[in-house]
Amino acid sequence: MRIRLGKELFEDRWFTAGFVLAVFFAALTLFGPLLAPYDPWNMSFEPISAPTVEHLLGINDGGQDIFSELLYAIRNTVVFGMISGFVALGLGVFIGLTAGWFGGLVDIILMRLADVLLAIPAIMILILTAALFRPKPVVLALILAGFMWPTISKTIRAQTLSIREGLHIRAAKQMGGSDWHVIHRHLMPELFPLYLIGFAAKCRMAMFMEASLAFLGLFDPSRKSIGMMISYAMKYYYLDIWWNWLLPPIACLSLLIMTVTFLAISLEKVLDPRLKNTLKERAI
Amino acid sequence: MSLSIDRLSVLYQENSHAIQALEEISLELNSGKCLSLIGESGSGKTTLALSCLGLLPKNALIEGKISLDGRQIDYSDETSINQMRWDRMSIVFQNGAANLNPVHRIIDQVAEPLIYRKNLGRAEAIVIAAQTMSEFGLNHDECNRFPQQLSGGQIQRALLAMALIMDPEVLILDEPTSGLDAVTKTIVANVIRTARSKNKSILLITHDLEFAVHNSDTIAMLYLGQIMEKLPSGDLFNSPLHPYTMALVRSYPAMNTARDLGGIRGDAFYRTMHQHGRKKGDAYSHIHIQSPDYEHESGHAPPTGCIFQNRCTQAVDSCRTEPVALETIGDHQVRCIRHGIVSLLSLKKVEKKYGNVVALRPTDLTIKAGEVFSLVGETGSGKTTLAMIAAGVLKPENGTRVFDGQDMDKWIRSDYKSLARQTGVVFQNPAESISHRFTVFDAVAEPLKIHGLYHNEGESHKKVKEVLSHVHLSTDKSFLGRYPHELNMGALQRVSIARALVLNPSLLIADEPTSSLDPSVQAKVLKLLLDLQTELGLSMLFVTHDIGLARKISDRIGVMLQGQLVEIGPASLIIDRPTHPYTQLLIDSACGLSPAFSHPGPDVVDNHGCPFSARCSRVKDICKHKNPPLLERDQRLAACHFPLILE
Repeated sequence: MRIRLGKELFEDRWFTAGFVLAVFFAALTLFGPLLAPYDPWNMSFEPISAPTVEHLLGINDGGQDIFSELLYAIRNTVVFGMISGFVALGLGVFIGLTAGWFGGLVDIILMRLADVLLAIPAIMILILTAALFRPKPVVLALILAGFMWPTISKTIRAQTLSIREGLHIRAAKQMGGSDWHVIHRHLMPELFPLYLIGFAAKCRMAMFMEASLAFLGLFDPSRKSIGMMISYAMKYYYLDIWWNWLLPPIACLSLLIMTVTFLAISLEKVLDPRLKNTLKERAI
Repeated sequence: MSLSIDRLSVLYQENSHAIQALEEISLELNSGKCLSLIGESGSGKTTLALSCLGLLPKNALIEGKISLDGRQIDYSDETSINQMRWDRMSIVFQNGAANLNPVHRIIDQVAEPLIYRKNLGRAEAIVIAAQTMSEFGLNHDECNRFPQQLSGGQIQRALLAMALIMDPEVLILDEPTSGLDAVTKTIVANVIRTARSKNKSILLITHDLEFAVHNSDTIAMLYLGQIMEKLPSGDLFNSPLHPYTMALVRSYPAMNTARDLGGIRGDAFYRTMHQHGRKKGDAYSHIHIQSPDYEHESGHAPPTGCIFQNRCTQAVDSCRTEPVALETIGDHQVRCIRHGIVSLLSLKKVEKKYGNVVALRPTDLTIKAGEVFSLVGETGSGKTTLAMIAAGVLKPENGTRVFDGQDMDKWIRSDYKSLARQTGVVFQNPAESISHRFTVFDAVAEPLKIHGLYHNEGESHKKVKEVLSHVHLSTDKSFLGRYPHELNMGALQRVSIARALVLNPSLLIADEPTSSLDPSVQAKVLKLLLDLQTELGLSMLFVTHDIGLARKISDRIGVMLQGQLVEIGPASLIIDRPTHPYTQLLIDSACGLSPAFSHPGPDVVDNHGCPFSARCSRVKDICKHKNPPLLERDQRLAACHFPLILE
């Protein structure tokens, strides 16, 4: 089955596009510092100059190479989004499954907690935390994750409630399957599409949030970030720099978000055997 | 006048081994009574008949004694034996025509005993013979023909005339009806009736169960030389006690059998005793059961224990080792250490409510080992609830459940898994009862994984392939890797049957297993279930709304209405002559008749009344206020104040 999977995935255009982009960004993230032609903190170049062969995207107002800066910025955004997305997914799935499977008091307590968290605007907390305590970015990523799990856990719980009444779950329980067996062999795989959707949404949200916080100047100013690049570039919008200074970070942010979305859509399609067929039929 | 056989054993010796034809048979033939011997071929029926007449071949080793009127017959005294034969004890041999001399006219052969025994003159003897033969419906013409000029029926009449011409006290009939049409059989039946009225003792050897039931008083079931059960003939069809008796009954096409014919799994030819190997030690002299699937070596099972255990539907470990003797239970005698057919599952007063809705009123249900029990009724009658309570999936509010002699509720609390291993469940909708993320292999191997029996890939593959081949599905690699949506419903339902069987359960519970299938696939699945039931010796609880379907597969049927059983009994009886008006309604509706009962709407009835009172045309005042209890009526249980019983 694993052998067929790869082939099937690449037959899907969404996946191919997402995969190419993902490889691209993964390479930039992993090898960014090696690829960067200059030290992005080196301010020894001619400020605000147009792109040349040496400086592919020109120089910013501080005399730093924009291309090198962008490579470091992408890295920070991706890592922030991934950490936040994964932690939110982990929390959401764990809490959602626990609430949905065991029900009762556990369910009530966990879901009320989720409601409370949903009512608090995450951005406000993040701005306040960042402004007051100046924590490391990873701490902000975790705090953000702490606010993002409720939506995931709500969908997971709802789906758990409907699946747990399913005949195949009843069959598994009749056969003597333990809670762990049913959760791990039936529920968790069944919920897989939700993980992808949840992760994609939260990862996108976190990357956007990172950009926003940086845009607002709430991170350490020396930390390279897509948001901060945009915010600096905006100050010089009256100069003819939009295409080499403003556009690249914006394009990168958009492409990053698209990558996550594309991959999630195609994986969901291919990994769900039933959905795969209906989609194929529809395509015909 | 009576013949009594006391601990008769017969061994046929052949060079190095011996065939055990009979082992310690004790029977009593009383005057005016008919005893039937029933058994598969090779069970020793004919040997028993021949040994009574001292006609066994020279290589037979005989032990035990046979006495006539309390006096032991001395078979070594050839003259007195000869005198006894025909005079006091006569036999109608098997395969009619082969026993007659083709060069003599039939009437001469019938008259022969008169001439040689009574020393009558030939003319006189012929007159008597002609007279006797005319009593059996042979006219003058026919009497003077040669055997090959007569039909099978006429030959049988001639043989009967010959056996009875000396007016013996004991009559042995060896397969007198085999090869006869139903009409000619009545002549044999008449002979038996007349003989009984003349106080003769009759030993009837037959395969024909229905003939035995109607013409004898007692039936003895013979298996590989042992009597498995001795029972009053009336109990044969509806309340046999030994699994062998039940299986034989199930294999016999009686006129009112509704169910498709079953059989007995496995095969047995005869028991041999032989010697080889070291002179000292167990291997030197031993008994084993010869059957086609036994290699010589594996047949060396120690001959202790029950000889039927490898084909039995309720064999347990101790059946293999512990000695077993005939014991008396009621008016039966049974050779079974489990005291006859056991109840695999018995529910007492189980009850289930969902809030205010009563899904199941206090209900008793017993499923015997090796039988197929069907629950029939409309939707919402509580069939599935009862079946799921039986499966241990639902917990009843009240009542006790006993599975295989153990309290089920205790069992569920202490070790549910080991109980789950005993029951396989096939759910209504195969597409939903198998996870769509599982391949065929995953689905069938799931119970193995749950029960920690999934040790390694190879072994599990072997087991999975074995069950898949049981349900007639492909076992090749590509099929094992298929997903449910790639299979049709019939194949899918068979996958789910395979999954239910992979742990070798003793009870299979099938909840409307064919309702999502089209008729041809349904037929296949049902045939498969029945074959499996025979092959694996399962007990089955089958839930269906289709009484027509239930009659084809069940030994017993329970009819449910509004959360209670209103009629339970043998399938043939319930279908043939229902006593509860609701059963009648179900049968009529299944036939496509518009029911003879008033309004078809939902039953709005007083909680204390009969649940059918709103629709019943025979309703009286009492029906509306008093729920009738389940009472025994016409060999089944029915809950009706005014049952439909033919007077």
